[in-house]
Amino acid sequence: MHTLIQGVILGVLTGGVYALMASGQTLIFGVMKVVNLAQGAFVIASAYLAFTLFTQFGIDPLVAVLITTPLMFGIGVVGHWLFLRPLRREDATELSILITFALALLVEGILSITYHTTYRSINTSYANKAFDIGGFSVSAVRLYGFIVSCALLVLLYVILQKTRFGRAIRATVQNPQSATLLGVDSNRVKAYGFGLGIATAAASGSIYGLLFPFNSGSHYDLISRLLSVVVLGGLGSIGGAVLAGVIIGVVSSVAAVTWSPTWSEMTFFVVLLLVLLIRPQGMFGRVERGAL
Amino acid sequence: MNNNRLSKRWFKRAPLVAVVGAALVVLSACSASTPKATPTASTKALVIGISLSLTGDFADPGTAVKKGYELWADTVNAKGGVLGRQVVLKIVDDLSSPTQVVTNYQNLITRDKVDLVFGPFSSLLTVPASQVADRYKYAFIESAGGGPKVFAQKLGNLFFIQPGPIVKQGDVFADYILALPAAQRPKTAAYPSLDDPFAQPIAANIQARFEAAGIKTVYSGTYPAETPDLTPIMTKAIASKPDVIVSGTQSLDAYQQVKALIQLHYNPKWLYMSNGANSPVEFPSKVGAANTEGVFSSGDWFPSSTATGSADFIKAYIAKYGGDATGIDNSSVEAYAAGQVLELVAAKTGKVDNATIISTLHSGTWATLLGNLSWDAIGEPQGSYLLVQWQKGKLVPVYPAAIAQSAPEAPKPNWAG
Amino acid sequence: MKLSKEGASPFFTRIGLARGGVFIVALIVMPQLFPQHWIWNMMFFTVLYAAMSVSWNLIGGFAGYPSLGHAAFFGIGAYAMAAIFKSTHLLTNGWQPFFIMPLIGLGCAILALPIGLIAMRTRADVFAIVTITLLFVAQTLGYNLKSLTGGAQGAGLSRAPFRLDIFEQPFYFAAVSLLLLAMGIAYFITRTKLGMALTSIRADEDKARGVGVRTTAVKVMAFAVSVGITGMAGGIWAYYLGFIYPQFAFDPLITIAIVLMTFLGGRATVWGPVLGAAILMPAQQLLAYYVGGSQIYLIAYASIFLLIMLLLPRGILPTVLSKRRLASLAKQGNMSGISSTPAITGGSNS
Repeated sequence: MHTLIQGVILGVLTGGVYALMASGQTLIFGVMKVVNLAQGAFVIASAYLAFTLFTQFGIDPLVAVLITTPLMFGIGVVGHWLFLRPLRREDATELSILITFALALLVEGILSITYHTTYRSINTSYANKAFDIGGFSVSAVRLYGFIVSCALLVLLYVILQKTRFGRAIRATVQNPQSATLLGVDSNRVKAYGFGLGIATAAASGSIYGLLFPFNSGSHYDLISRLLSVVVLGGLGSIGGAVLAGVIIGVVSSVAAVTWSPTWSEMTFFVVLLLVLLIRPQGMFGRVERGAL
Repeated sequence: MNNNRLSKRWFKRAPLVAVVGAALVVLSACSASTPKATPTASTKALVIGISLSLTGDFADPGTAVKKGYELWADTVNAKGGVLGRQVVLKIVDDLSSPTQVVTNYQNLITRDKVDLVFGPFSSLLTVPASQVADRYKYAFIESAGGGPKVFAQKLGNLFFIQPGPIVKQGDVFADYILALPAAQRPKTAAYPSLDDPFAQPIAANIQARFEAAGIKTVYSGTYPAETPDLTPIMTKAIASKPDVIVSGTQSLDAYQQVKALIQLHYNPKWLYMSNGANSPVEFPSKVGAANTEGVFSSGDWFPSSTATGSADFIKAYIAKYGGDATGIDNSSVEAYAAGQVLELVAAKTGKVDNATIISTLHSGTWATLLGNLSWDAIGEPQGSYLLVQWQKGKLVPVYPAAIAQSAPEAPKPNWAG
Repeated sequence: MKLSKEGASPFFTRIGLARGGVFIVALIVMPQLFPQHWIWNMMFFTVLYAAMSVSWNLIGGFAGYPSLGHAAFFGIGAYAMAAIFKSTHLLTNGWQPFFIMPLIGLGCAILALPIGLIAMRTRADVFAIVTITLLFVAQTLGYNLKSLTGGAQGAGLSRAPFRLDIFEQPFYFAAVSLLLLAMGIAYFITRTKLGMALTSIRADEDKARGVGVRTTAVKVMAFAVSVGITGMAGGIWAYYLGFIYPQFAFDPLITIAIVLMTFLGGRATVWGPVLGAAILMPAQQLLAYYVGGSQIYLIAYASIFLLIMLLLPRGILPTVLSKRRLASLAKQGNMSGISSTPAITGGSNS
């Protein structure tokens, strides 16, 4: 029982980070109808960035979020302009998946040249610290990472709900045609939406780097989890992605402590398969015209 | 109108073309300026073909192997070469892919007709590569692939350049524990291992010996290579408070295991990690120098080694690559030792052709950086590894007694945190 | 779209027959013209990947469902072969694996039916997600079904007992027959109603269903045939290598390679993927051999991929063909033809 509760605690804390990554992924889908297979690669890129900032300048990864997030936002906007905007509408869906896959490989290639392929980890002063809460050990990095993830999710919520830009994004998600008619510049919204999605990758990348060792190839593993999370949550639904992130975090962590770590990886996929069988639109996804 | 739309699209894509094009030009310029690893062959030269993983997942250790081979080639060429023939290495990249490694050995042997080949890195590529070499009756001296499946092929041309087959790496820890008086031995043991051909069998081998000696197994399990988080696994492994933890680790997962143990506030009386903990630089940097105290590991070479040519090797290594002795990767040493073996065969027989190498190496012992090596009919080395322990921030050989520089420290002191 | 016109043309055209005949003869004669092992080795891999590209094209090109999970079936085929031939008693003269191959292909195709039914209920983007996830599921299973696959320790096959001097040839001709099979199916598709059905799914699935195309049956069948051929290719690959590990048999880069070959040569064409494979496979192998180690491999690969998709989204063959068509139309003075869509892909580029 003790082990089980320990597993749940661990799962919730880790799930919070997945929730942040997945919210960016699902936002990009909502705005552009693009499944961004490079999301994981951008998370890892940001983890490396945080690694450099920490080892070279002694900046704490949780503070580094303030630097990496705007930077990656910019990279996202430029990336959209270079690679996604030129696509013709007819085969945009098909090509964009392949293009983001190629982007992921490009990022991986650049990272493996810059940082080699040895695993890196960010060892802050509190890296090994753990709190004892009611007999359960809660590691400090996980707790801090979770808190920052939650704070950023709230910030994302505020941006989407309270700002003009957020309203434009939400309008585009709901109905691109009428949004354009209402005077929303769809290209700009798409670019900024993509940027915002990548920015959340940047923020979660700092935290990911703090929690787990990573190398340039880690993104394959990450993207398969993220996809399961966003499909479970419902493509395009941020609230769904957050809830799904936590659910999947808990399920896989509990499976690892009670059953077998090798099979816990499978829980992601089992969940995904069940969702597609029972409710293909995910928990909160809307049934769209002819799609989903 | 068609032209109009076309040109507009081209215009829209122009920045992309510029960026990607510029990137490619810069990159090809970089690659062009990389010095060629292989000098032009002369008629007399002894050309040795090697496929290494210089890109892809195994790029870093692959590069370490390359350093070892090149250092050996430089050293032997400075002495006048092998039997008067200058050694020329033809090193090609296999992208960490089995398809490419097969192509590479095919090309080396049938296209470039190299005189000899050495084995690839990574070890996962050893089996397909060794089959190609065997088909053309080339000797296959390799320093990376020593897993059970490599020897299960029963190839007569293969020689593994390490003291023993990989599974035996942990034997020396089992020897040490089982030599303790019964009252001092651990009662319970946990075996968390990486699911990897070169990690898990080591722990399994120790487990079999411990169980035969009556040490109870309270946990035994494997985790996949890409597990980002080992805390759940370690939570389970320590649930019944084992006296000894035997970890079949590779590198990264060793650091994660230590971190998880520290965070879970659990300190076993003995902690043995097959690999990762034997890295003189990485291990303390990843887990914190103070946390290394008392951790056991094993390996084939250490900077303080007194094996044949060790001191000269370290001197030459530092002269060529800089740094200090603790920064030398064992893969470099093993690659260098592969070269030494070749030299020894040449010195003994006066020949360096494949048939001679194959027939000669199956008998006798050969003194290298890794100690005295000898092989059976299927290329399994017959020696044993050394047990080392972290003591006061240094890796010290502690068992067997003949080579020990200090006594083993047990029980393990608590984590520094 | 001129497909209706093409569909009405005779099943075999004279030029088509001539082209096919020359190609087959070339494939057979090549090993005799270049009797070096290293060339045979490269030809084997090129033809094997060409076969996979052509088969990917059936679902990814003609039907517009970009599968990112073909490597899963490649791996399944490889492991099926390894499981059957792990000991020598089934393998006497060395030819048995090639006879078992169709069964492996059939098995993969049957396995693909339920997967296709689930994954293709929704549109192309979800299909891509499911197939890429499938790849990781398959890899995880490869690691964990230890009794079947040997897990991370890998799985060995008994070694092919062929004579050294012709060692690569049986593998090469097995790959050639696979390629011809795949091309035959692709040709059949371009020449029959089935092809129109697939292309109409790609153009607008809802409309296609509306006019009475049995979209589900058609696309699931195309998927099954496609991965069946890929599974067989995996089987040959495993036999040739002699030893496989999950990370290599279920490698995302395999998918990427065949997708790239298809895009380079030209989607939804019979010859495009073959052209793509003939360019990329030798280029990749020789580049790695000669300039490997400069670390630019992955970046170069990704950059080429991006460039092709952005600048040449239809691939070499359709681009060249439509240029030629435009030129000939211009010569006929039929200027009105220029703004209409070139026929080959059934897509619309202008």
